[in-house]
Amino acid sequence: MKKARMLALFANFDEAFAAIADIRQYKVPGVSVDDVTVISPIEHPEIEEVLGVRPAHVPKFTLAGALCGMTFGFLFLATAQANFTVQPQGGKPVIPLPSNIVITYEMLILFSVLFTLAGLMIGARLLRRRKSLYSEKVSLDQVGIEMELEEKYIEPVKKLFRQHQVLEIREEGIQ
Amino acid sequence: MSDQIKDINEDIRWAKINEDVLRSMENPRMGYWISVVVCLGLLSLAVGAEIYQYKTGIGVANLNWPQMWGLYIATFIFWIGMSHSGTLLSAILHITHADWRKPIYRFAEAMTTFTLMTAGLFPIIHLGRLWNMYWVLPYYSDRGIWPNFRSPLVWDAFAISTYLTSSALFLYIGSIPDLAICRDNARGWRKKLYTLLSLGWRGDDRQWRHFRKAYLVMACFLIPLAVSVHSIVSSDFAMSIMPGWHVTTFPPYFVAGALYSGCAGIITLFVLLRYYFRFEDYMTLAILDKTCKLTFAIAMVWTYLNLIEFSSVWYGHDMVAKELLISKFTGPYSPYFWAMLFFGSVVPFAMAFEKIRRSIRAMFIVSILLNIGMWLERWMIVAPTLSMSYEPFAFDVSWPSWVQWFIVLGSFGWFGLLFLIFVKIIPSVSMYEVKEMVFHRRHLAHKAIAEVMHQRTGDAKPVGGAGLEGAKP
Amino acid sequence: MSLENILTDWSRYRKGLEQGGFHDYEHMWGMVIDLDKCTGCGACVVACYAENNLAVVGKDRFADGHAMHWLRIERYWDEPDLGEGRVAEYQHHGASFLPMHCQQCNAATCEPVCPVAATYHTPDGLNAQVYNRCIGSRYCSNNCPYRLRYFNFFSYYESSWPAPLHMQLNPDLTVRDKGVMEKCTFCVQRIRAAKDKAQMEDRKLTDGEFQPACVQTCPTSAMTFGDILDLHNPGKGVENTRAAALWRKHEVELGKTRQTKQDPDLRGYRIFEGLNTDPKVLFLERVREV
Repeated sequence: MKKARMLALFANFDEAFAAIADIRQYKVPGVSVDDVTVISPIEHPEIEEVLGVRPAHVPKFTLAGALCGMTFGFLFLATAQANFTVQPQGGKPVIPLPSNIVITYEMLILFSVLFTLAGLMIGARLLRRRKSLYSEKVSLDQVGIEMELEEKYIEPVKKLFRQHQVLEIREEGIQ
Repeated sequence: MSDQIKDINEDIRWAKINEDVLRSMENPRMGYWISVVVCLGLLSLAVGAEIYQYKTGIGVANLNWPQMWGLYIATFIFWIGMSHSGTLLSAILHITHADWRKPIYRFAEAMTTFTLMTAGLFPIIHLGRLWNMYWVLPYYSDRGIWPNFRSPLVWDAFAISTYLTSSALFLYIGSIPDLAICRDNARGWRKKLYTLLSLGWRGDDRQWRHFRKAYLVMACFLIPLAVSVHSIVSSDFAMSIMPGWHVTTFPPYFVAGALYSGCAGIITLFVLLRYYFRFEDYMTLAILDKTCKLTFAIAMVWTYLNLIEFSSVWYGHDMVAKELLISKFTGPYSPYFWAMLFFGSVVPFAMAFEKIRRSIRAMFIVSILLNIGMWLERWMIVAPTLSMSYEPFAFDVSWPSWVQWFIVLGSFGWFGLLFLIFVKIIPSVSMYEVKEMVFHRRHLAHKAIAEVMHQRTGDAKPVGGAGLEGAKP
Repeated sequence: MSLENILTDWSRYRKGLEQGGFHDYEHMWGMVIDLDKCTGCGACVVACYAENNLAVVGKDRFADGHAMHWLRIERYWDEPDLGEGRVAEYQHHGASFLPMHCQQCNAATCEPVCPVAATYHTPDGLNAQVYNRCIGSRYCSNNCPYRLRYFNFFSYYESSWPAPLHMQLNPDLTVRDKGVMEKCTFCVQRIRAAKDKAQMEDRKLTDGEFQPACVQTCPTSAMTFGDILDLHNPGKGVENTRAAALWRKHEVELGKTRQTKQDPDLRGYRIFEGLNTDPKVLFLERVREV
């Protein structure tokens, strides 16, 4: 079946919301809210209420980073110190816990932050070629709804969008 | 303008926000080039002094026995302190949902990154053999030699590199959506640059969702990180056994001082950016007012911790520490010490008055005075203890030479230069967040519309979406 | 860098000074300075300059605080009421002398703060300074309560020994360049030579075989140098002139932070004992006739 991608631009969130709400209530048979991608110029948690629960796994990366950083930090210090036994200084033991805790703490944060960044990159699918269907108006003040649909659904969805004062609809065919 | 009550005018068009901010990144005016030249001039003073010091030896800075540390370390703490502002504004105010931070957090975060890049130079400059500075880093060598992880200076190296990495990433991640806006509006080589920098951001809901989580998580990590960084810097002193340095309250005292000078730095840059880029619509007097209130509160915390330190020395009744404290009030450094107390604890009372808080000119001067006070504070931490500690034979007062002063001045040039480059590369006002702020304010202002809008979204808030999943044809 | 290493030897690596430390001491070099015998003549200072290639910085730099005297004679006029006719310049009129060189503390505060481990504690009980490793952060000097560490603020060698004076430099140790911290080593080159000799002759190094330059030079024998390792085993029968015997005689012990003895004949104390740095130089109080 041939598929197509379409991008509809709305002037404000209210109209876009209404359109998504209609899709959510299956006003267009065969098209569900899961096919909808909202492209918006601002961070807008309310959109997600309409879109249903979609997961973001960033905190899991962070947790992994924190654990890695803690383990690596402490073991790195302790093993390095245990190999460098000229170090007993000022009557302190070879592996002094207070100072190691300080550095371990820093390593925990460093790794967490780096893993969080990795989580963002992977989760948000950054660093990929942008899809050709993109409007610069979305970074300005319009809200876009992108959908990937089988061709037969395109027309009814367009009709629905027009009911909600869509400003512009772009589409392209994909394999 | 003085009757401005709202943090931001909610009727401002989004297109205008883009326009105003992007305009600030284009075609530098004369004033910009003059600033660049001034900064380069200051920087070249420092570079000249540093070359001279490198070739001749650290003695030309007029450091001596026992004054082994001087302005370099004091200015290092000063710059590290300045860096805490960005974290305060963007991280703490972010997780507490104080949305007035939105127009001013970006340059504060940039300030964090660049002050750290400035501060990081000072421990290197002050080394006797700076060509061996990499020995502080933990790298594997065949000789099995490691840095001394016990030393607070090594903690510094870890803490500052962690903080620099994290704050630079925080700044960068926070500005990705704005970089995408730049990409959509730029031409030529700038378009290529921003295409690269924006990492393919297009603002779909998946990206925003992950972005929000990542930003929140990073904000949560930056707060303890910032606290740990300045308490580790304070450890350089607190972990020693010297009177006046070996003080339990040093970590909180340093953190408070850092937030204080950082806030004052934000006010200075606020005024400059507002004036220079005509950001009156975004950097409003209401926001200045709020920032000043925050600064005033922190100034009082700092004052309190200062008094606590005095009284703990007084009650601790350690002869040496007490003598040192008295010498701070009456000895050779007393003019600077009293000046520090005046600028740090008396001048902030200017911010108790709304008239002054809302006066751009007055606050510019006050913020600079506060920072002079905070710089003096750092010097008064380093110098008096060195001049007067346990060994009476080693009591000596020495004053910094022109080499130190040039390098200290040059650091301001270096910071200024970095900041000037920044304002042309990255939007100094967060466009997308100002839009958010406007959006939410608009809905608050017109509650009725918001209610209607939410009615039209239809059903109750979905739970898991499983029910709908099953109904799918 | 192996996990096995820390797992097997964990308890050893966790031993601080109070638990006996990581190293077993081979020797523990210490000193006794009898202030009653010190006349403040400064011969020890001269000897130190000659032995250890100390830079002679000149009057101006000395005044700037750039002197490199590892051993210095501190003068205090701390008892002015003893000055008959207000002439306080003489020792018996209230001036006192204090020869100060590195106290070789067992819990040295300078050591743990060095970022590159350029200063550490040797199994000889010395507080060693590795010039090659030093990057000149000067933290150690700042954290030395005695202020006994000196920094090469300039390349002093360029002007310190104009030819032919450079011929008198001691070949047994280095001349330091700018940017390096240095301090008294208890003439570690002499310790090294004596140890090597003993090893070649296949015997144990005996106490008194060598002396640091200052001790050797002191005209009034105010300084005594020796191994104080057997301090706590009085059964061994050590001669009374030796350092350990003096430590024992004056009831000064390592690890103690205050002197509680009452007997005026027991004059021993260590400087800033209360800071718990555990210095290894014992001072014998000057006896004044009042």
